[in-house]
Amino acid sequence: MAQITIVDPVTRIEGHMKVQVTIDTVGGKQQVTDAQCTGTQFRGFEKILIGRDTKDAPYITQRICGVCPVSHATAASMAIEHAAGVTVPTNARILRNLVLGANFIQSHILHFYLLAALDYITPPASAPFTPVWNVDLMRNSSMQQIATNFITAITMRREAHEMAAIFAGRMPGLSAIQAGGFSAKPTSSMISNFSGYLNKLINFINNNYVPDAQLLSSAYSDYHQIGKGSGNLIAYGVFDLDDTSNPSRLLKRGVVYNSNLTSVQTLSTSKITESVTNSWYDNTTNNLNPAKGTTITVDPATKPSAYSWLKAPRYNSKPCEAGPLARMWVNGDYRQGISVMDRHMARSLETQKVANSMITWLNQLTAGASEYTTCVSPFSKSGEGLTEAPRGALGHWMTTSPSTTLAPNGMAAINNYQVITPTCWNASPKDTSGIHGPMEQALIGTPVSNASQPIEVLRVVHSFDPCMSCAVHVMRPDGKPVTIIKGEPEF
Amino acid sequence: MKVTRREFFNYCAGSAATLGLASTLGPLQKALAASSGPPIIWLKGASCTGCTVSLANRISSSAPVDLADLLIHTIDLVYHPTLMGATGDLAVQSLLNAAAGKFILAVEGGIPTIYNGKTCTIYTQNGIDITALAAVQVLAPKAAAVLSIGTCASFGGMAGANPNPTQIKSLSAATSVSTINIPGCPPHPDWIVWTIAQLLSGVTPTLDSSNRPTALYGSTVHSQCSRRSSSWATSLASTGLCNGNLGCKGRQTHADCPTRLWNNETNWCVGTVSSSGNGADSLCQGCTESGFPDKFAPLFSTNGATPSGHKVVDKPSCMTCHTSGRPD
Repeated sequence: MAQITIVDPVTRIEGHMKVQVTIDTVGGKQQVTDAQCTGTQFRGFEKILIGRDTKDAPYITQRICGVCPVSHATAASMAIEHAAGVTVPTNARILRNLVLGANFIQSHILHFYLLAALDYITPPASAPFTPVWNVDLMRNSSMQQIATNFITAITMRREAHEMAAIFAGRMPGLSAIQAGGFSAKPTSSMISNFSGYLNKLINFINNNYVPDAQLLSSAYSDYHQIGKGSGNLIAYGVFDLDDTSNPSRLLKRGVVYNSNLTSVQTLSTSKITESVTNSWYDNTTNNLNPAKGTTITVDPATKPSAYSWLKAPRYNSKPCEAGPLARMWVNGDYRQGISVMDRHMARSLETQKVANSMITWLNQLTAGASEYTTCVSPFSKSGEGLTEAPRGALGHWMTTSPSTTLAPNGMAAINNYQVITPTCWNASPKDTSGIHGPMEQALIGTPVSNASQPIEVLRVVHSFDPCMSCAVHVMRPDGKPVTIIKGEPEF
Repeated sequence: MKVTRREFFNYCAGSAATLGLASTLGPLQKALAASSGPPIIWLKGASCTGCTVSLANRISSSAPVDLADLLIHTIDLVYHPTLMGATGDLAVQSLLNAAAGKFILAVEGGIPTIYNGKTCTIYTQNGIDITALAAVQVLAPKAAAVLSIGTCASFGGMAGANPNPTQIKSLSAATSVSTINIPGCPPHPDWIVWTIAQLLSGVTPTLDSSNRPTALYGSTVHSQCSRRSSSWATSLASTGLCNGNLGCKGRQTHADCPTRLWNNETNWCVGTVSSSGNGADSLCQGCTESGFPDKFAPLFSTNGATPSGHKVVDKPSCMTCHTSGRPD
């Protein structure tokens, strides 16, 4: 007989999330037969941004997420620069890549060891790591090496942040990424300090992280058949390698869908739509192209059929997965499969790829060369900033005010601001057609051995590295002014 | 609390020496007689997890030397949604067990109140969604001490900025319970660890009018800044000059960032490039102050800045006090 299990809070993620699964026996196998992923928090950052000086967006949007602040600062700066028609100096592009790369390393190490590994290894015998469910941890003795590296990983992720702070000022909450470039000026000693950290981290990635991911992938090889999800992958691309308006990137932009996994399609943001059928927003805004949408929240008590603060973004009507696996797949670097373990493998290999590339970028920095150019936002313009957070595709869209509506300091103000985050793609609820989001699809069919300790559910959810604070934002990636309903929260 | 006498003494001695607080060593040593301290319940309201990430950046020559040392040897952190092994019902049970006894409550993130707090539910109990608002209203009055971690919990912070879409309140305002505030966006890990160590040792830190420990937030950033006697910067492209006219909030902001530095003494927001050091060369944004960010907005340009760049607008008022015209 079917039973419903609620996992709330889902811990070891960023932000607040609840998962509800229906568990039943089908074909003699107990498994998840239905799933609901709920984002249980929203704050309304996009409304906070409206009316402010555009230059404040990189600083403010970082506070959407303390785990991916570099990505938000970068996307915001790119949106402003796009509107202003400004190209940042070469040094600024490289500095941003280095700081973003450092945060990718930090985030991926944090995720594998501190957030995900406790689903597989015996934790340190101390709160907050214990107690845990009594489940099939430590399938073989060699996994002790992952437990040993758990403590080392705490040091490594901290040092990755120290490396970033050499240029960024502090981490998290950095101050150096600005519209127009980068405030810090690299010196030979800063480059040398950075290089010292990077070499140490590369050693850890090569000798510990990647081997540990391979070990996990081998010990829990059944998880290569669990958690496939939607099978559609989306990547905005990241790490610009030249200064043109359509640069080549270390990790390319593209979309893979309709089960045609070897054909990478060109990304077009006009193909994004949003459903609010199962989200706490007014139904009059349902299924609009985001370019024409208006967002009106409702009191959850008045829409009991909905179950999330996340909208359901779809690309060409398809739920799409974002993240390291999507990036590595689109780039052609990893195409072994789509599953729980493939996500961990792709994430570790991406960390290695990015870290190795950072050596090259560091050598391209010119000590003393310009890294900042004045960037003044024009009136009534729109800008788009597409980049990647460690956990997937991130987009910011901004429109500036007409000259009749100024920020308090007489500059062009933000007229509209929208953010689409990776976890909004991954953890989205069902759309109007009743199609589940990628994480929900990944959960359905997952075998469950003990319905009261559904570790399999946790392993599937953690493989996506959800970031719920980022996720609960809405999205009109058009840059066009919208009507703001007074008194209604808007995000 | 699993701290050994030696570790805890080293930590307290180290922090006291750093902060010039030798006089507090007496009560700290007295507290070492205690073999256990109360568990800590760390809840997250409308947060971004940046405070927790900052705590994870702790590094010191004194115990607890880093996050692992803090968690495994120093404090009994029974509930922390990002770090804990337990999940779902098992996690909630850990919370309830701790709440039945003496405990310290630490909250990261502001407390939304719109829709009866339903824009932030943090766990399910008996099939019912529990809001952050409801949880802190029950737990704060029962706690031995209540810590507001970061500017959002302390004062409302970024998510509570105009027009405050989710009607966020500070932890204190949402619960009518007096809190010890450790603001910062994020707060420095040393500020969090130092304050917890004081409480575990039975010392209540002296607080300022914003309920911040005066030992940590007693002086302005500007008064400790190495650039305060230099000339005015007119663009972020310059280096080493006072950024007061570009929007630096160091004169209104209380914190020890210029001397403590961040990320293992790597740098800080305004950090100055030197021959051997690092430098961000940016602006202090006033992130430890009540009213941040609206009080200081626009953050990255001063009132009256011209479209062609930055215009000196507050120099006349500075010269009222500083006849040299220098921002010292």
